[in-house]
Amino acid sequence: MKICVLIKQVPDKDSSLTIADDHLTLVENNITWVSNESDNYALEEALLLKEKHGGEVIACTLGKDSARQVLKDALAKGADRGIFISDSSFDNLDVLSLGKVIASTLEKENFDIIMSGLQSDDQGNSQLGLILAELLNMSHGTLVMGTEIIDDSTIRVKKELEGGWFQWTKLSLPASISIQSGINSPRYATLKGIMMVKKKTVDDVTASDISSDALETNVSINKIYVPDKTKETQFIEGSPEEISEKLVELFKNDIKVLN
Amino acid sequence: MKILVYIQQDEGKINSVSLEALKGSQEIAAQTGGTVSALSFNSDITSQLAGYNVSEVLLAEDDNLNIFNPLFYLKAMEDIAKAESPDIIVFGHSYEARDWAPRLSARLDIPLISDCIGFKMEDKLTFIRSIYQGKLNSDSVVNKGAFIVSFQSGAFRVDGLQSGSAEIRNVTVDLSGVSDSISPEEKFQEAEQAVDLTQADVIVSVGRGIGKEENIEMARELSKTLGGEIAASRPVVDAGWLESSRQVGSSGQTVSPKLYLALGISGAIQHVVGMKGSKNIVVINKDANAPLFEIADYGVVGDIFEIVPKLISGIQDSQ
Amino acid sequence: MTEETRQVLDVDVLFVGAGSASLAGALHLKRITGKVGLDISIAIIEKAREVGAHSLSGAIIDPRTLNELIPDHLEKGVPFEAEVAEEHMYYLSSKSKFRFPYLPKSMSHHGCYVASLGQFTRWLGKICEEEGIDIFCGFSGSELLYENEKVIGVRTGDRGIDKHGNHKSNFDQGVDIHAKTTVLGEGTRGSLTKTLINKFNLMQGKNPQVWAIGVKELWQMPKDSIKPGYVAHTMGFPLGHDIFGGAFIYGMKNDILDLGLVMGLDYKDPSIDPHHELQLLKTHPWVRSLLKNGKMIAYGAKSLPEGGYFSLPKLTVDGAMLIGDSAGFMNGQRLKGIHLAMKSGMEAAETILNALQKNDFSDSTLSDFQNRIDKSWIKTELYKVRNFHQAFDYGLLPALVNTGLGLLTGGRAWGVLNHLPSKNGHEHLTKLDSGSQSGGNGGNSKYDQLEFDGNYLFDKVTNVYHSATAHDEDQVPHLHVQDTDICINRCTEEFGNPCKYFCPADVYEMTGEDNNRRLQINFSNCVHCKTCDIMDPYQIIEWVPPEGGDGPAWVNL
Repeated sequence: MKICVLIKQVPDKDSSLTIADDHLTLVENNITWVSNESDNYALEEALLLKEKHGGEVIACTLGKDSARQVLKDALAKGADRGIFISDSSFDNLDVLSLGKVIASTLEKENFDIIMSGLQSDDQGNSQLGLILAELLNMSHGTLVMGTEIIDDSTIRVKKELEGGWFQWTKLSLPASISIQSGINSPRYATLKGIMMVKKKTVDDVTASDISSDALETNVSINKIYVPDKTKETQFIEGSPEEISEKLVELFKNDIKVLN
Repeated sequence: MKILVYIQQDEGKINSVSLEALKGSQEIAAQTGGTVSALSFNSDITSQLAGYNVSEVLLAEDDNLNIFNPLFYLKAMEDIAKAESPDIIVFGHSYEARDWAPRLSARLDIPLISDCIGFKMEDKLTFIRSIYQGKLNSDSVVNKGAFIVSFQSGAFRVDGLQSGSAEIRNVTVDLSGVSDSISPEEKFQEAEQAVDLTQADVIVSVGRGIGKEENIEMARELSKTLGGEIAASRPVVDAGWLESSRQVGSSGQTVSPKLYLALGISGAIQHVVGMKGSKNIVVINKDANAPLFEIADYGVVGDIFEIVPKLISGIQDSQ
Repeated sequence: MTEETRQVLDVDVLFVGAGSASLAGALHLKRITGKVGLDISIAIIEKAREVGAHSLSGAIIDPRTLNELIPDHLEKGVPFEAEVAEEHMYYLSSKSKFRFPYLPKSMSHHGCYVASLGQFTRWLGKICEEEGIDIFCGFSGSELLYENEKVIGVRTGDRGIDKHGNHKSNFDQGVDIHAKTTVLGEGTRGSLTKTLINKFNLMQGKNPQVWAIGVKELWQMPKDSIKPGYVAHTMGFPLGHDIFGGAFIYGMKNDILDLGLVMGLDYKDPSIDPHHELQLLKTHPWVRSLLKNGKMIAYGAKSLPEGGYFSLPKLTVDGAMLIGDSAGFMNGQRLKGIHLAMKSGMEAAETILNALQKNDFSDSTLSDFQNRIDKSWIKTELYKVRNFHQAFDYGLLPALVNTGLGLLTGGRAWGVLNHLPSKNGHEHLTKLDSGSQSGGNGGNSKYDQLEFDGNYLFDKVTNVYHSATAHDEDQVPHLHVQDTDICINRCTEEFGNPCKYFCPADVYEMTGEDNNRRLQINFSNCVHCKTCDIMDPYQIIEWVPPEGGDGPAWVNL
């Protein structure tokens, strides 16, 4: 079973974010970089499948130089190999173009399963897993809360639906699966695992390895900014009776949470 | 500018996020001089759709479209897009949309701007997205060509959805040859569900101001009357008065319900980051200086023990 | 998992803590052993998730050691913020400031560099890894391993244990790392260091170590408003004359202002609150003016060893050595310890090379470390300021006189005495009924004027949010209070529970009323400063490392 796990390096959730003067990028000197949360769960799910069914887990990331750490961490946890896709010409690509870059890299590997986290904690597009499924002609599942290999050519995934509903779905391999956080308990990298990282390979991929039409994009981000605080608090006054009457009105007619 | 809005249906009812997206599309059309058509794969909802101000309602019917299966829905949409050539395809960003809209983007080779919280007309039509977990916003434009956009729940409000009267037109799709590599099974609900505050429409949240464990019962009743969930800030969970799965904040859950009713919560930043995305924040606290009032939509400086019992009976009377 | 299945890793030399002392020591050791044809395995374990995440200092780095260890450090891109460009020393009253017209050369920072210790250790750590040293992050040293009273290594902490002490599904048992020599570079008030010192009575005949706490904030200021390399130190307001310490204000790159307060953990009044003192500092009109239009972006705190030369313990035992802040190699007068920590690491490396060549790691060989220290410029530098901190027990003005006389006499106390004694910092705390403080049970009244507006002044909880510290909530708290009855029944009356004041991270809270009072420990706020372990008047708080990888995630503190 050959499994690829896509992992993205993102700012830590508690990092203080300062926008650079170009209004497009972040000042990076105060950011703690981590592996995207749902990607950690995807990696663990892949490692569990490998332990149960044998095979290989390859960690893949697309990012700046600092993102190599994400691959090191994955290798330390048990991934067998890494793929590092990096080039400054990828910086302004939208997610569809990035998908094409990644697809052209992964195509020749013929993965049985590609696992990705549901969405990244930075841009939160929540698209890559499905884009790859289409470009690489794989089946797909998203919001996946559980996986089960049926046989060499089938995997069953438990999808989360709205309102507390769930649904198992059979997917024919190859499949691209987007994993929801909380599906498992990500393991720690052991001392032995960290020492083994030196012996594992990471392949570098740059723009020269990618076909040129993947490097175009039709989407531009004009700016990033702190959302405006337009709130004016409306204070509700009166006796407790009056206040509760006004609140009931509010809940019924304005906010509409009462029938 | 031709806008085609896909309207999702659940059990014969129009999905509310799709309806909000329809409203948003009407607003885009008004500002760009475009037309809005609604698309459904189910005839249960088409007559209702025809009552909205859309230029027409498209209906694609096929046995394979009765239950959601991404590959069949994709092929249907692909056929329709080829035939109708919309400039913009619009979705409500529902769980179901997440399971096929991105793949549609790759299928048609046009970008998808997903989970938008709004739009504005500047030089070009600009879509606003919330990034870095709500800390920042980004403005995106599509430079050329057709594209897909999905709108987040709550980005638009359906009151004010214009009505009209539209024709319903059947469109044909060819779903033969669609792969069966994705086969959904029966939906089910789990017997024991863990609390998922992120799914609640209404959250009644208590802070230190609740005073004692016994007083939580009052808040719990209020949340039941409102059909919502009870939650708490960190000190309440630390004291063991509510389970940690009910904690809202930086070391708990991040929520954005329609109504977040905060009782006796002062508003430490650790708590605020977990709930400031809520659509309507109502704060009741006897301390007029409580920082939480700064992000409140509605504030009450008062005693929760006097107000909440009256609120509970007031709600019960109104129902 | 059982004891039989516990993994064992054998290395030649193990360093505990990837701070500047261990990194310099490991790097130097790798090189000097390589030069004589010895290929040894060197490992460093570090409790933080990455090198530098738990590093905090002002800092102003004296490049002396770096010139020895990595002469081409500037070419190699050492991430200094700037060379010290201008320096000022002020005495502050509550409203104004008086500039010291003259700074003696030995107290000048000329030729030194403003730096972030976290960035510096990250850079040094990369070089170590490039040269073949294994650095294992996310691994805490939980206990020392002995064989017949000889240290044979360290056991790392278990990971994946829930708050009831049960194994979680991803439980990972600690590993026994066996080493010929274990070097403890855990930094200030190291936890393994503390047990080693107690077990072998290494402080016998020495002054007790005394510490200070440094509390700091980083401020993002408007573009081009900050001069990198700007250095200012102050004394006086808000600490007054009875508390050792003062403020530091450094200009970093990218318009970041580095603002902090160092205060001795040997004050008398148990209601003193270091975090609040930092906020008070910001009410000074001059300091306030420096922060105009700025935004606080980071907060942190750490203790630092101030005792100096006479507080250094015996540095070696069979199989183990103490370096850096764990030993206490800090120059309190110059407010610099990084160059000394690194040099101590290098001298330790020379000692270990000799031990490797003799194949003898007993104390009789390792104790050569003490000789090396005494023959090196470490002693020259520290000996000159050997009585600096002790004189502050007598108040600010006498201490300044002492410092002046010390400068003239090569460090003699009051110009005449060789060795001023000191006592444990926590023993300075006076009980509530002795009338030494100006508040009551509700905290010190000097803080009453503080209005935490969330723009310039912040309450503790808000600052903690910016300290980037996080701990898995589902673990046994790492702050062991031996007997919480003492907290409730004795300490409240005698000292007013000073833990809730001296902790800069709001970890300790007394909650409940009357018979339901209890000590609540918000361990996940902990920034690993060790102040509680140092300052608790009953010495019943034991700080042990939490799960490896937990704690602060500082980037440039």
